[in-house]
Amino acid sequence: MVGLSIGEKHFIQGGIAQDLRSDGRKRLTTRPIYVETGVISQANGSARVRMGATDVIASVKAELGRPNALQPDKGKVVVNVDCSPTAAPMFEGRGGEELSAELSVALQCCLLGGKSGSGAGIDLSSLVVVEGKICWDLYIDGLVVSSDGNLLDALGAAIKAALSNTGIPKVNVAAGASGDEQPEVDVSDEEFLQFDTSRVPVIVTLTKVGRHYIVDATSEEESQMSSAVSISINRQGHICGLTKRGGAGLDPSIILDMISVAKTVSEQLINTLDSHIAAAEAGEEES
Amino acid sequence: MEYVSPEGLRLDGRRPMEMRQIRGEIGVVAKADGSALFEMGNTKVIAAVYGPREVQNRSQQLNDSALVRCEYTMANFSTGDRMRKPKGDRRSTEISLVIRQTMEACIMTHLMPRSQIDIFVQVLQADGGTRSACINAASLALADAGIPMRDLVTSCSAGYLNSTPLLDLNYIEDSAGGADVTLGIMPKLDKVTLLQMDAKLSVETFENVMQLAIEGCKAVATYIREVLLENTKQLEYRRGI
Repeated sequence: MVGLSIGEKHFIQGGIAQDLRSDGRKRLTTRPIYVETGVISQANGSARVRMGATDVIASVKAELGRPNALQPDKGKVVVNVDCSPTAAPMFEGRGGEELSAELSVALQCCLLGGKSGSGAGIDLSSLVVVEGKICWDLYIDGLVVSSDGNLLDALGAAIKAALSNTGIPKVNVAAGASGDEQPEVDVSDEEFLQFDTSRVPVIVTLTKVGRHYIVDATSEEESQMSSAVSISINRQGHICGLTKRGGAGLDPSIILDMISVAKTVSEQLINTLDSHIAAAEAGEEES
Repeated sequence: MEYVSPEGLRLDGRRPMEMRQIRGEIGVVAKADGSALFEMGNTKVIAAVYGPREVQNRSQQLNDSALVRCEYTMANFSTGDRMRKPKGDRRSTEISLVIRQTMEACIMTHLMPRSQIDIFVQVLQADGGTRSACINAASLALADAGIPMRDLVTSCSAGYLNSTPLLDLNYIEDSAGGADVTLGIMPKLDKVTLLQMDAKLSVETFENVMQLAIEGCKAVATYIREVLLENTKQLEYRRGI
């Protein structure tokens, strides 16, 4: 994917071993993050997040649907990611599907917390309008516009920002519907309900290169990785999901060490992200 | 339905010969050789150009000119209703082809034999006139990539509703069933490179509508030139000349 000479490879690996990476960062320093909200006007909520040359857009669309028969008191959330060929020519045609699927699954397990949805970062029961009959289906779409490593973290941040930007229309249910009838609803286009996004986790990916691991890897650094662990952590410091990628095996004790490191990194990330989201939202309201 | 009110205003408050607000931005995709964002009202597209580079598939290599390829994709969230399966349908294949042919006409392919140029356009928001917006974005991106071109290609659509020629149709006007003429021109050479129309029109009206579209294309060309000039000034400033 990334064409590197042997010298360049050694340079990257050596830099990481000495705690000074090619772009001058330390191992646990992230790139500056830029957040813009409300970029897609047709969506209920959207955000664009840039970290260095990585550029992703997330949008949230809400549609009224029927809840699952097994879980009548919960709404549905679908996460889907697409890799645009603008990001890299290899995503042309069906070339991006594998990576898209991998990212979608990783995000799903980091945000939605398993089949029961009990550990979800989004409160699924808040999506229900009439129990067992009507609920909101949230479609979260991610789009990778430009890719320079660390896509999962960027997408996680973009989804968090998009959810903070999301307004779900208020629904008035006409009384009188009983039994099996589908009640009539009136979707308000003036009043919107805001989401509680404080529980939505952020994702921190630790990429292992040589004997050390780094955060926010660029694509050159990712090409040298032996394995990577993505950990999603919420504000309370709880782990919401975990995925390991890459071929090489990891020592269990290292994984535990990584988790504690990810926890400290995530605290900073959540704070910077929250302040950026607040600034972006304030900027949008002004304009 | 009334698309032009008696006061001469359209549904979104424009005059019949008024274009939507256009905005172009160069260099939105850091990793691409050339890239641009182009907005026409609510329609928003990103184009990225990779190349000229080695031909990926040897059997497609051309010995006397460059191979130009194009792919058009729409984001899931680009339309009002969420799309389920956007990739590789007939509509996007057709638009890819149209954009490829239009751009190929202006690129000086004979200067870059045995090489390949990829143009990728990604629709972020669709509100009518995606074809035109894509061509304008691709034009900017190709210029940003420094690919030799005979001229810029700019595109604009025009239609005919309520016996009034309308410039730059939005989605509602586009789906109203009237004629829709999409035109692409090379403004300096004054040549038409793309012309598509659906529905029927009398020859006289067609002349008027096409004239309107040409005016639109020229206005877009003036704007694109401004954007490019501004970008070049920025580059010059950064180099410290």
